[in-house]
Amino acid sequence: MAINRDTVTTHVATFKRIAADKEAAMAPLRLAAARRAKTFISQLFIYSVLLSLAFVFIYPVLFIFSSSLMQAGDVTDATVKWIPKELSFTNYAYAFQQLDFWRSFMNSTIISLGSAVVQVVSCAVIGYGFARFRFPGRGLWLALVLFTFLVPPQTIIVPLFLQFSNLGWLNTYLPFIVPGVFGHGLKGALFVLIFIQFFRKLPIQLEEAALIDGAGAFRTFRSIMFPLARPAMLVVFLFSIVWHWTDTYEPTMYLMDSEKFNLTQQLSKMNGEGQGEGAKQLTETKSVIGEPPTKVNRVMAGALLSILPILALYLFAQRYFVESVERTGIAGD
Amino acid sequence: MKKRLGLTMRARHIVQGYSFISIWIVGFFLFMAIPLFKSLMYSFQDLKIMSGGLEATQVGLKHYNNAFTVDTSFVPKLITSFTNIVIQVPLTLVFAMFSALLLNRKLFGRIAFRGIFFLPVIIASGAVLKKLMGEGATRLPIFDQVDLVGKLIDYVPGQILFPLLKMMDAITLIMWDSGVQILIFLAGLQSISTTLYEAAKCDGATPWESFWKVTFPMIMPMILVNTLFSIVSSFTKVDNSVMDYIQYIVFNKNDYGYASALGWIYFVFIFLVIGAVFLIFRRASAEERR
Repeated sequence: MAINRDTVTTHVATFKRIAADKEAAMAPLRLAAARRAKTFISQLFIYSVLLSLAFVFIYPVLFIFSSSLMQAGDVTDATVKWIPKELSFTNYAYAFQQLDFWRSFMNSTIISLGSAVVQVVSCAVIGYGFARFRFPGRGLWLALVLFTFLVPPQTIIVPLFLQFSNLGWLNTYLPFIVPGVFGHGLKGALFVLIFIQFFRKLPIQLEEAALIDGAGAFRTFRSIMFPLARPAMLVVFLFSIVWHWTDTYEPTMYLMDSEKFNLTQQLSKMNGEGQGEGAKQLTETKSVIGEPPTKVNRVMAGALLSILPILALYLFAQRYFVESVERTGIAGD
Repeated sequence: MKKRLGLTMRARHIVQGYSFISIWIVGFFLFMAIPLFKSLMYSFQDLKIMSGGLEATQVGLKHYNNAFTVDTSFVPKLITSFTNIVIQVPLTLVFAMFSALLLNRKLFGRIAFRGIFFLPVIIASGAVLKKLMGEGATRLPIFDQVDLVGKLIDYVPGQILFPLLKMMDAITLIMWDSGVQILIFLAGLQSISTTLYEAAKCDGATPWESFWKVTFPMIMPMILVNTLFSIVSSFTKVDNSVMDYIQYIVFNKNDYGYASALGWIYFVFIFLVIGAVFLIFRRASAEERR
């Protein structure tokens, strides 16, 4: 059989084409494999960054927890780093007693819960007013809301203190709760802004429908808009509880009687071993460096006890917390 | 339908609006405007506590003069709190943005990570607690274990190295302070429409480019919000040195007039800083538009 030169070249060309086709068919697969490897590496990178950041966030908690369990022997023992030789809760028992736990827990709860509830309601009302009504002077009042956010508490503390003292409100919970009723108080301006943002995003048709059905503005708010604001209420409520719980400034200002102390005050008293009474404490919290090492461990136990209720609340509500902050659009537009 | 006072639609709207915010207005006068005015008055007076109440003598600008000329500790504290802001706020913003970008991805255990990143807001906002943590928990052990200073001092001049290490040292506290900012950025990132990214991708933008051309401009308002929030929270933090100092003047020296003057100086100072930030942002966004 005579082999024609031309046939050979055509055959070669065909083979080459088939090979090229195959190549072309394989290429996406190979590309996909490369991409998968690349995403795998980048995923690995992202997770390792996230994990190491998470470690930084958790490290202090672990540190406090571990040192709160240590006894004098463990502190001086060089072989003990994280896990104490024997498990004992004497630090906790001591701290529990020193903090006067149940009483100061009740005090903290009254302050936080009371202010949170009134702030949720009042800030919702105010936020609705700003979000849905156009009236002359609205811009001015809104600017003043921002203004109150900027004024440092120290600037007005002297007159406020004298004002509350004239009213006989010192050593009561009124200085925390009454400003909240008017939409002020700790971070009140921020809460008003959160509600304004939230109500702005709700469709206006709801209110128009209510209006046509004959409901007045207050009725509309009470039975339609207020129940709808649940995500924003949750955020404000939780933030308010947390910030009131951990706030040391206002309690040290207005509560001088140790029967009225809340947990953070008791903790700072424990930390400074109680020379400071009332408002003086804050400036006198001594450094615990240079103290006998076991004392630090006891204070650590106290610190953990004082945040335990709020930590439990957070573990329970964490999911709603973060998610609804996103949904309410706290950031605004 | 009942007849309502014969008001027009618009008038009724105004009345209703004001009745909703009226409680805030009342509170504003009771807990902000009047105290603010009084403290301005006090700042020009010497106050003495008598049995019958306060006794005031006018002293004019004495307190303001003293703050800058006689008192040796106020101005340095003011400068410290300002430099803290200049260093910390940009770092907070960068870190918060970085974390928000990471947490915004589809991840396994995203909720758990978000929970952890937000943990410090819950437990570390108290001044006492923060102080306790500062005693040993907020410094990463790496720095002490490897003797970083000794190793680097040969290569890096001290003027650069020490501020740098100071920043590294503060970085854990900065991370702990950026929970709210991370949340605000996250909320902002989620409000960006995915169609923008798709369009950018169709035009051949790399992820890097689409960050700078899409994400960054869209998130600009949140950067402003976060900057303001960080500045205000850093200025009004209880462990801020100026705040501490005013507290000390009020309760240990009982010098109400001087404390009020310091409070006003501080307040004006904060306002100037925030005004400057606003100006910078406005100029930046104006340039963006051009």
